[in-house]
Amino acid sequence: MKIAVFSESLENEEAIRIIVDCLLGKTTETTGLPNLQARGWPGVKGSITAILRDLHYSTDAEALIVVVDSDDSPVHHNNHDQPGGADFKCRLCYLRNEVERTRSQLKPRAGRAQMKVAIGLAVPAIEAWYRAYIDPHVTESAWIQGLQSKRPPYSRNDLKQAVYGTPRPSRQLEQQRGTEEAQRLAQDLNLLERLFPIGFGSLAREVRSW
Amino acid sequence: MIESVQFKNFKALRDATLPLDQFTLIVGPNGSGKTTALQAVNVAVNPVPPNFDQVISAGLDQKAVVETVIAFHQPYGGINLRTVWRYGDRPLSQYVSATPERNSVFVPEELIKKLNRIRLYSLDAQSIAAFRPLHGGAELMQNGADLVVVLDQLRDGNPERFEALNEALGQWMPEFDRILFETPAQGQRAFLLRTSRGKHSIPAASLSQGTLLALALLTLAYLPDPPSVVCLEEPDRGIHPRLLRDVQEALYRLTYPENFGESREPVQVIATTHSPYFLDLYRDHPEEVVIAEKTEQGTQFKRLSDHPYLDDILRDSHLGEIWYTGILGGVPAHA
Repeated sequence: MKIAVFSESLENEEAIRIIVDCLLGKTTETTGLPNLQARGWPGVKGSITAILRDLHYSTDAEALIVVVDSDDSPVHHNNHDQPGGADFKCRLCYLRNEVERTRSQLKPRAGRAQMKVAIGLAVPAIEAWYRAYIDPHVTESAWIQGLQSKRPPYSRNDLKQAVYGTPRPSRQLEQQRGTEEAQRLAQDLNLLERLFPIGFGSLAREVRSW
Repeated sequence: MIESVQFKNFKALRDATLPLDQFTLIVGPNGSGKTTALQAVNVAVNPVPPNFDQVISAGLDQKAVVETVIAFHQPYGGINLRTVWRYGDRPLSQYVSATPERNSVFVPEELIKKLNRIRLYSLDAQSIAAFRPLHGGAELMQNGADLVVVLDQLRDGNPERFEALNEALGQWMPEFDRILFETPAQGQRAFLLRTSRGKHSIPAASLSQGTLLALALLTLAYLPDPPSVVCLEEPDRGIHPRLLRDVQEALYRLTYPENFGESREPVQVIATTHSPYFLDLYRDHPEEVVIAEKTEQGTQFKRLSDHPYLDDILRDSHLGEIWYTGILGGVPAHA
């Protein structure tokens, strides 16, 4: 299966592929295109439509994986999935809406099925996934409670410090540690899904359904 | 090491204080005094400091006094280095106590040594590529000249670092895998980069401007004994936006050596930029960004982290994009 990965940082791609391969139970292939890279969430937000269109018209990619950080944005809630309940400040809602809107506008291509898209929301950042079941305090629910009480339990820099030993990791270190942690997480992704049921769960359920 | 630099009547800086961190990125419009600020850091230790006419703010007369005061972080916290220019006199630099009631100040030799190792760089691709005569104790010059001699010294004196530099070069620019040398004329040295595919040697003069600037930055970051303070003009110049993270990383290698497995002393880095893309990389570290704001009263510097509503303003936006709009200051005025 040929998949493209689009996330906020190129350094995360290998880790995301390890996790997706594990969810699918098979090794995926790349599209042969240059790696897709956005400059943070604003970049993802601004280019997701163009990426989808290009993948559909110009490549043989069968699926697109999008992983974004929630940062301080509202985290997805079950209510958002009710008819008319979507909250476009929620990055998952925003991206799902953009993906559906774009897919509905794409002209069919002969022999080409609709592109599959799975979206993951790392709450608040992918480094939180990398800390899963190493630090019991790092969970989606802890972050959501912290947002509600306006006292976040940790910052993105805290998570970076914990994962990389510094809030200013090198690209090489980010890639290396991400790969190591993804390999560790791949041993039991159900546990990661229990700790991050919304953001990781969304990605995992979609990918498993393919 | 340097906590702040205070300016009085110094070119565009009539009355301003530049706060500095271990790493500082200054953004602001042309003519706002970014380069002047870098020069001022270097002035007090320059063996040939500029004279009164070269530093006095435009429009002031000969009665005016020009002054810069460099204040230091601990362990040199009580010491200021003040340089004063008066018309007709040579500039006078002296160490003074940071607390006015104290007359004398003890200046550790270590501080003097560190001040003598402040370097200002405004890299120029042509100078970087030029072949040069070999000589001992070479340093990268202000415009990047002598890079070949520095590389040659690194290869001979620190082969492990030279190998690490080659590896870093390959990661940054995968089309190249090694720095090579040649002797174009007796006593002269030139460098070439070997291509990863085909192993062709490309002479420095044929390399792109961005490649040369990147190599000079990378070399600086891999020196065993870099300057104590590096003042760098537009390190992002000529470099593809996707590679700006590598520029940031090279500078952080200087500033936070322990993050890169280095045991040497941290280097204080003061850099300038006009690039919103480069500025984006500092969103999580607003304390490292200083905005130079040009006003009718002259330039003022303000640390981005002091902005009271920064998080609320940035939200889902790029820092560089928001800076570009003008709401953070530090943009050119229009008639």
